[in-house]
Amino acid sequence: MTTKTQDLLGNNLTADDLELIALYERLKVLSQRSDLPPVVVANCKQAMVMMWNACNDLGLFYEEPGCD
Amino acid sequence: MPPVTTNPYWNPKVETLPKEQLRALQLHKLQRLVDRAYNQSPFHRRLYDDAGVTPDKIRTLDDIRRLPFMTREDWMQNQAEKPLFGDLITRPPADAIRYHLTSGTSGRQPLRVLDSRKDWSWIADMWCYGFWGFGIRPTDTVFFAFSYGSFIGFWGAHYCCEKMGCLTLASGNMTTEQRVKQIVEMGATVVCATPTYALRMGQTAEKMGIDLRKEGKVRRVVVSGEPAGSIPAVKKMIEDMWGGICGDTAGMTEIGTIMIFECDHQPGGPHIIEDHFIEEVLDPDTGNPVPYGERGERVVTSFGRGFIPLIRYRTKDLVCKVPHTRCKCGRNGDIYEGGILGRVDDMKLIRGTNVYPRAVEAVVREHSEVEEFQIVISRVDVQDEITVKIELKPDQQDSWGRLQNQLCKDLADAHEGLRFNVEFAKQGELPRFELKAKRLQDLRPQY
Repeated sequence: MTTKTQDLLGNNLTADDLELIALYERLKVLSQRSDLPPVVVANCKQAMVMMWNACNDLGLFYEEPGCD
Repeated sequence: MPPVTTNPYWNPKVETLPKEQLRALQLHKLQRLVDRAYNQSPFHRRLYDDAGVTPDKIRTLDDIRRLPFMTREDWMQNQAEKPLFGDLITRPPADAIRYHLTSGTSGRQPLRVLDSRKDWSWIADMWCYGFWGFGIRPTDTVFFAFSYGSFIGFWGAHYCCEKMGCLTLASGNMTTEQRVKQIVEMGATVVCATPTYALRMGQTAEKMGIDLRKEGKVRRVVVSGEPAGSIPAVKKMIEDMWGGICGDTAGMTEIGTIMIFECDHQPGGPHIIEDHFIEEVLDPDTGNPVPYGERGERVVTSFGRGFIPLIRYRTKDLVCKVPHTRCKCGRNGDIYEGGILGRVDDMKLIRGTNVYPRAVEAVVREHSEVEEFQIVISRVDVQDEITVKIELKPDQQDSWGRLQNQLCKDLADAHEGLRFNVEFAKQGELPRFELKAKRLQDLRPQY
C-alpha cells in the first residue's frame, strides 16, 4: 500500500491516482516472486511495466526506468 | 475530462501544465537522472568526476550547464574500448529485451543500444504522444512501410499503435507495389514512412493506375527519418498524392524514440515532448544557449531510457526553437520551427539511414586496389541514391567485378543494409586534392 500522498508537482493524489499506484505496486510484488509459474510472472511483469508507464507519465512518481 | 477518444491529448494532465510547473517536473527528473547515471554508469561517473560535478550540484534547471556534454564520438570510443556496449549502460546486457544499432561515424563499428521492458514501453509511449496528438485513434488502421530489422526506425511506432489499439499492419517483406495494394485493400487510414518513400509509394500508385485520393482511405501520413518531413513543399506533395494530412516526427537511435512531433494543428514544426526531454539549443561553437528564433545545435537530455542515460547529448542537428504559444493546440511543448533544419557536421541522411562520409571512406580504404573514390548523392524521381565511384590502381583493373560486389556488401553491412551503388571510374576521371579533399557531392535539390 502506497504511503504517497502527493504527485511530483505537490498535488494531492486523487482516488484514481492512488488506485493506479496500488495496482502498480501489487503487480511489482507479483512479478518479482519466483514461486509462480512463468506464465504468471511474465505477464505480471508486462502489466507492471504498463502501469509504471502510466504512473510515470502522470508524474505520480519518477522511478528508475531501466530496471524491471 | 472529455471521453478518451475525443481527448486531444495523450497525457492531458502533463501536456497542458503551465511552464513553471513543467520546469519543476523537469528539475525533479533531472536530479534523479543525474544521480542514477552517476551511481550506475561508470562512463558517467568518470565524465562527471573529470568535470568536478556531483549530483548534489544540480539544484536548479540552469545547473544543467554544469554537466559536461556527451558526444557520439565519446560513446563510440567507449564501446570500442569495452565491447560490445561499453560501460555506459546501467544494467547487465542480460536484463535487456531489445537490441538495435545505427551506423557509426567512422567505419564498420555501429552504435549499439539496449533496452529493458520499461524502456521499450516508454519508447512506444513517446510515439503515442505524437500519434495521438496528430489525431490518430484506436479506430485507425495504420500501415507501416518499414523494413523491420536492426534499425530502430518505426519499431517504437508499431508498438505505440498496438498500445493505442489500432489495427497495425507491418509490411517488412513487401515490394512497393504490394504495399500500395495492401494500403488500398485494407483501407489503411494512416501510413507511416520516410517522406521520400511516401512520395515513392504515391508515384508507384499512379503507375499502377490507382488514385489514392479516391480509392484509398488515408487521412494521415506520418513521416520520419528525414528533414524533408517539415519542408512545406514536400508535405504538400505528399498530401496531394495521398489525400490526407502529413505530419512530421523526428527521433534518434540514441534516444530510442521520437522527441518531437507535429500536432494536427500543423503549426509549422513539431512540438518537443518536454516532460520527457530537456532540449537545449546552443551555439555549436561556444556552447552557449541561443534565444528563441535563432538557429543552434540541439542538445538533448532524455528522462526515459533506463539502460542508457543520455544527458546533454550533442546531436549536431540544427534547429530553431519558437515558443509553444505559436500553436493553438494548448500543449506546453515548444516548437522546432521547420523541424530539423540540417546538420552541424557532415552526416547525410539517405532514405532514413545516417551516412558519414568518413565511415564510407573507412570501408573503401580497406581495399588496397582503390586509388581514388568519390561519393555522389542524388535524387532520382523522389528517391535519394548514394553512389560510390571507384578508380582502381592501374595494375588492379582486373579486380573490378569482385571488388564491386564486395564493396556493395561491405558498405551495406556498415549502414544497416542501405543499398549503395558502386560504379567504375576510368583512370584519372575522379578529381585529386592537394589540401582538404572534397570527395562528397550532394546533388539533391535544396529546398
